[in-house]
Amino acid sequence: MTAFAQRVRYRPRRLPAIVPIGIVVVAGAVLAGHGFASPRNIGNLGLQASVLLMLSMPMTLIIMSEGLDLSAGAVLSLCSVAMGLSLAAGHGIGVALAVSLAAGLAFGVTNGALVSLFGLPPFVVTLGTLGIAEGCALVLTDGNAVSGLGAGISTLYASHYAGVPFPVAVALATWLVTHVLLYHTRFGNYVFAIGGNRDALVLAGVPAWAWHIAIYAYGGLVSGVAALLLTGRMNAAHPTVAIGMEFDAIAAVVLGGTSFERGDGRLAGSVLGVATITVLRNALDLLGVESSLQVVAIGVLIMAVIVIDSAHSTWRAGPA
Amino acid sequence: MTPSPVAAGARAARAGWRHRLGADNATLALRVALILAMAIGLALSTDVFLTTTNVLNVLRQASLLLLLAAGLTLVILCGGFDLSVASNLTLSACLAAGVIKSGASPWLGVATALACGTCAGALNGLAITLLRLPAFLATYAMLWILQGLAFHYMGGQEIYGFPAAFRALGTGRFLGVPVPVYLMGAVVAAGTLFLRNTNFGQEIYAIGANPEAARLSGIPVRRRQMLVYALSGLMSGLAAVVYLARVNAADSGMGEPLLLPAIAAVLIGGTSLFGGAGSLAGTALGSIILAMVINGMNLLDIKAQWQPLVVGAVLLAAVLVDLIGRGRRERIG
Amino acid sequence: MTVVDSPADATAADAPLLSLVGISKTFPGVRALEGVSLDLYGGEVHMLLGENGAGKSSLVKVLYGAYRADAGTILHAGRPVEIHRPADARRLGIAVIFQEFSLVPFLDLAQNIYLGREPCRRVTRLIDHARMHRDARTLLDALGLDYDTRALPVHLGVAQQQMVEIAKALSQRARILVMDEPTAALSDREADALFAVIRQLRADGVAIAYISHRMQEVLDLGDRVTVLRDGRRVATMPRAEASADALIRMMVGRPVGAVYQRRGYAEPGVPVLEVRGLRTATGVNGVDLSVRAGEIVGLSGLVGAGRTEVARAVFGADPIEAGDVRVFGAPARGDPARMAARGVALIPENRKQQGLALARSTQDNLLAASLWKLFPRGRYRTRQARARARDLIERLRIVPAQPRRLVRLLSGGNQQKVVIGKWLSADCRLFIFDEPTRGIDVGAKSDIYALIEDLVMRGAAVLLISSELSEIVNVCDRAYVMRGGRVAGELPRARLSEENILRLAMHEA
Repeated sequence: MTAFAQRVRYRPRRLPAIVPIGIVVVAGAVLAGHGFASPRNIGNLGLQASVLLMLSMPMTLIIMSEGLDLSAGAVLSLCSVAMGLSLAAGHGIGVALAVSLAAGLAFGVTNGALVSLFGLPPFVVTLGTLGIAEGCALVLTDGNAVSGLGAGISTLYASHYAGVPFPVAVALATWLVTHVLLYHTRFGNYVFAIGGNRDALVLAGVPAWAWHIAIYAYGGLVSGVAALLLTGRMNAAHPTVAIGMEFDAIAAVVLGGTSFERGDGRLAGSVLGVATITVLRNALDLLGVESSLQVVAIGVLIMAVIVIDSAHSTWRAGPA
Repeated sequence: MTPSPVAAGARAARAGWRHRLGADNATLALRVALILAMAIGLALSTDVFLTTTNVLNVLRQASLLLLLAAGLTLVILCGGFDLSVASNLTLSACLAAGVIKSGASPWLGVATALACGTCAGALNGLAITLLRLPAFLATYAMLWILQGLAFHYMGGQEIYGFPAAFRALGTGRFLGVPVPVYLMGAVVAAGTLFLRNTNFGQEIYAIGANPEAARLSGIPVRRRQMLVYALSGLMSGLAAVVYLARVNAADSGMGEPLLLPAIAAVLIGGTSLFGGAGSLAGTALGSIILAMVINGMNLLDIKAQWQPLVVGAVLLAAVLVDLIGRGRRERIG
Repeated sequence: MTVVDSPADATAADAPLLSLVGISKTFPGVRALEGVSLDLYGGEVHMLLGENGAGKSSLVKVLYGAYRADAGTILHAGRPVEIHRPADARRLGIAVIFQEFSLVPFLDLAQNIYLGREPCRRVTRLIDHARMHRDARTLLDALGLDYDTRALPVHLGVAQQQMVEIAKALSQRARILVMDEPTAALSDREADALFAVIRQLRADGVAIAYISHRMQEVLDLGDRVTVLRDGRRVATMPRAEASADALIRMMVGRPVGAVYQRRGYAEPGVPVLEVRGLRTATGVNGVDLSVRAGEIVGLSGLVGAGRTEVARAVFGADPIEAGDVRVFGAPARGDPARMAARGVALIPENRKQQGLALARSTQDNLLAASLWKLFPRGRYRTRQARARARDLIERLRIVPAQPRRLVRLLSGGNQQKVVIGKWLSADCRLFIFDEPTRGIDVGAKSDIYALIEDLVMRGAAVLLISSELSEIVNVCDRAYVMRGGRVAGELPRARLSEENILRLAMHEA
């Protein structure tokens, strides 16, 4: 039988290293006790993780497309500020949300345009927009937190839906939406293509440049929604509240097995990454391990996971 | 009719002043022009800018940034990247602070910082050349590790109050000029000499411009990459010493706010993220531009909140200008 | 040069599905296509034949919209159309099967096949996975392929990926299929299975343009044959009128004109390079050859025969799996740094990607391989370097004669001179040239030939890899011809002719 007539089976992909590692971490946390498994602690965990989860969803797509978004934290802060200012001016939550979305979208499209149309390295572009977003937030608030937002948003934050707290529900909804986008729409396929073989997409007649922008725009939109959580949690809007959060999001995505090249993405992996980081920190906290070593642990973890995952990778890009 | 080589040559000869000057020099000239323009603008709009005190102040701020950005420049020139420079500075400074505070000679502290910096840099180099990890990810992980080690070592405390002899490295003046400025000059001079006048330097540029072509030209690429990351670590150690002397205190968060400005200084200075083009002089000019921007905003009573915005805009503008100048092709589709 | 045309074959459709009329395409320094016309009829396999550089790839690129023709018209079913981008070609029902594959690594086969045209549910606009996989299954079954549609390209071998490409083209209901050397990576038996598919498509009325180098293929499968040479169409004829000899003669025939003449031949000295039984993972399957001092030895063969892979293995750029390679009498298992230090030079195939640092100056590039030879203590002296660069520029006649000019701005011929010049200061005694005059104007070409001859006259040894037959014949002392990873034959000077080379390269005994 000739080679190409041979049967090609479907082989499910090897699980990324984060799965066993994540399970070990969670199991270890539960076993270590110290109140980790208490409902109150789990509840706390959920709240802490929800914003990070939301940021890491579009970040997964961006990294899959061979990109990066260093401005995510700053844009999130700016959205929160925009929302806060709108609420303080007396508008309802709906309007405030719209303002926040607009701010996020503006930065998302800018990032996407500079990367897709000008071919500038995403690192540099988002570094620049990071500064601009941070600057805008600081200028708009004069460096101070925006307060006097009324009770509406903190009520919303504290609400529950079938026992699920609002922030967790929003985060899970973001995961769901991103999952559908990535795995059930044409856009999702294009994300894989832009990262894995952009030429193939162009040859297929698809305007890859536009969809490339859309990937970053989505990041901006999600930041706009995530601002609800941040603003609601503190019932105030701090201009620098989320600066640096993008590093955690990137770490989570990388831990989850998404690669910076070749358009390989695992959304569930990113979720696991978020969970692992959050659980690890929380457990180590409860055990009294100082946060410094926690940070070291995360660094070593990242290296280990990258090494294991790249040792397992088997794709060779064609005969070219 | 086949286009002749003569026509092609004529076309190239008509290329503008940029190419006549040599690409790197043209980039530098643009920066100098910008600095002069800014200087004139600031001198006209404030009384204070052109005073000796202020100019020296700007230069000192610039040199602190340059010391950190210099090693990063080398790495980027060679086609790599180093996200861990700031955490490297933090750890090196904290270790040095501990050593000095425990009564040992300041020189031992300096040696500690340099050693720590170089080791961390070498580890980056190993991860990248031996383990073949992508530079961004490897140095990102190292960022966490070094930061965590610094946290651990400091135990949440600060260490402050160092002997005057040591502090002179950061705050002292010689002939009226702050010591860090001399160091900046020395680093730029030595570094440029290294890059322009040694075989190593030429090879570094070659690797950054096209690693495969460099390999096929017989250049030992991985060995040079290893060298560059180690040197970058050494520079972080040196920057740690000067920074520590300047602020007279060490804490585990000292380096963090320096990372983005350091990267910005390199990029604003005209070094290309793609590798193979750029210079230490450019980074020095980039550091000066950043320092001038911040200084200018202070003098003009523009609130500090505008700073990140202006820096971000300057960064994007610098990269876009270079893009147009270098004529990088846009992607189709 | 006359264009030979023959009356259309009676079995083809009346009007061509697609006509290219007078297509021309020029790049700086190279005329890729000149007034080429081509008719593609439905239900016909139209073979495109020609040496490397004859224009076949450029023609295909115009067909699917990667290049825009500088002159000429394209007619689709008789109506003039514009093909400016791949989307235009798609809309006209043109599909191309590439040699380099355009599959997205982490999408499954069904997603790859329907990329850009995924079937969606009407209401939600979400992808209808079930339908997509069902349709993909039907397609693959029609081709007799037992691949799970959920598999990823990484699970497929090269031949299998190719079949997926074909399924992809079929799913576009392409009426015009262009195949660029589809059997290059296939074994004979796999190729036969592919031909069965092609015959089936032909029976369905699809017009197929097929680029090939294998004479057997052309004669077995083709209904009509067009020969290209130097960017022009030499002849088009029905299969019945084509014979291997005639085709080879048409591919090769040169206009009477300036042809490079060797000034003389040196007496060959000691063997500088000896290769025995070389095998590599990159496609070399047992190669024996040798090059002596004072000789220019050619290494010819079709693309994919393994010539570049031999060069890279000798130079240490790729690992050697088995075999004996001796350079200057000593075994050579090292990396490029070590080989260069021993005096071996490689002028690689792709000068922009492998030979030059485009962002750097002429001077920097010229000295990149000889830094330690020129400055053994490591101190790079700018003045000395500049002088050395000027020497080289003058000797090689590089234009513009400015050491600081960015190499990116030089024409192809001058860029190639820089790549060659890089090695002239490095004390090399063995030079391996891989396609040194590809895409270069006539003037620079003869400069380079003169330079190569000069090298051997001074006692160096040269291995010259080239797809250009006249180059091998006119410049080399003798030549090896490779085919399928092996040496198919050796031609001493007396038997060194373009036809002999092609025969060995294309499987004619």
